[in-house]
Amino acid sequence: MAYLVFFLGVCFVLGGLAVASNPSPYYGVVGLVLASVVGCGWLVSVGVSFVALVLFMVYLGGMLVVFVYSVSLAADPFPESWSDWRVMGYVVGLVLAFGVGVVGGGFVGELEAGVVTVDSCGAGFERLDFNGVAMFYSLGGGMFLVAGWGLLLTLFVVLELVRGLARGAIRAV
Amino acid sequence: MTFFMTLLHLSFYSAFSLSCLGLAFHRNHLVSALLCLESMMLSLYMALSIWPVENQMTSFSIAPVLMLAFSACEAGTGLAMLVASTRTHGSDHMHNLNLLQC
Repeated sequence: MAYLVFFLGVCFVLGGLAVASNPSPYYGVVGLVLASVVGCGWLVSVGVSFVALVLFMVYLGGMLVVFVYSVSLAADPFPESWSDWRVMGYVVGLVLAFGVGVVGGGFVGELEAGVVTVDSCGAGFERLDFNGVAMFYSLGGGMFLVAGWGLLLTLFVVLELVRGLARGAIRAV
Repeated sequence: MTFFMTLLHLSFYSAFSLSCLGLAFHRNHLVSALLCLESMMLSLYMALSIWPVENQMTSFSIAPVLMLAFSACEAGTGLAMLVASTRTHGSDHMHNLNLLQC
C-alpha cells in the first residue's frame, strides 16, 4: 500500500514532466490528465476524498475538457510526440535538472517516508475536508461571494478579449 | 530548526518546478504554455489539499477549492487569448506574438 502511494507520487511527477517537455498539445493534455487522475488517487490515499472529487469534477471534467477541445485550434500537420528528438532532449534536460535539484539540495538521504492521514488524531465525527469546505457557506461566505463575482467577471473578460473590429483587446481584424 | 521533506512534498514540489521550467522554455504553441500553467495550478492544489491534513485543521480546506475557482478564471482568460491569437494570425504559434519586437 505504501508502495502504491509512492508509485502515485512518481506518476504525478512523470505527468508534470510530460507536460513540461512541451510536445505537441495533443500529447501534453495526456500528461495533464494522467497527473490529475494520479493526484486524485493520491488525495484519496491520504484520506481527503472530498477535495479529490472536487478535483475530478471541476478540474478534469470541466477545465481539461475545455482545454482538450481548444487544442484543436493548435493543429499541427506533423505533431511531435515524445519520440521526437527535440522533445526527448527537453525530457532529458528536465530530468537532469530534477536530479541536480534533488542531489544538490541534499535530499538524497533525508527524505522521510511517512505521511499524516486524515485519521491521525483519532477518527472523529466531523470529516476534515467535508466540514472544511462546508465552511464556505457559513464563515467563509464573503470569499464565496468574491469567487462567484470573479467567475462572473471572467465571462465578460472573455467576451471582450475575443471581440474584434476595434472594440477588442488584442484582435487586429 | 530542521526541514522535513517527505516524498509526498518532493513529488508536488518537483512537479511544480518542472512545469515552471516548461513554461519558461516554451517552444511553438501558446496552448503548451497554458498547459504548463494548468500543471502548476494542479500541483498547488495538491499542496493546499494536504496542508490541512498535516496540521489537522479543518477550516483550511477552503483554500484548495477557492484556488481552483480562481484557476478556472485564469484558464478561461488564457483560452480567450488563444482564440483571439488564432482568429488574428491563423495559428497560436508563439512567434506571432511579436508586437514588442524591434
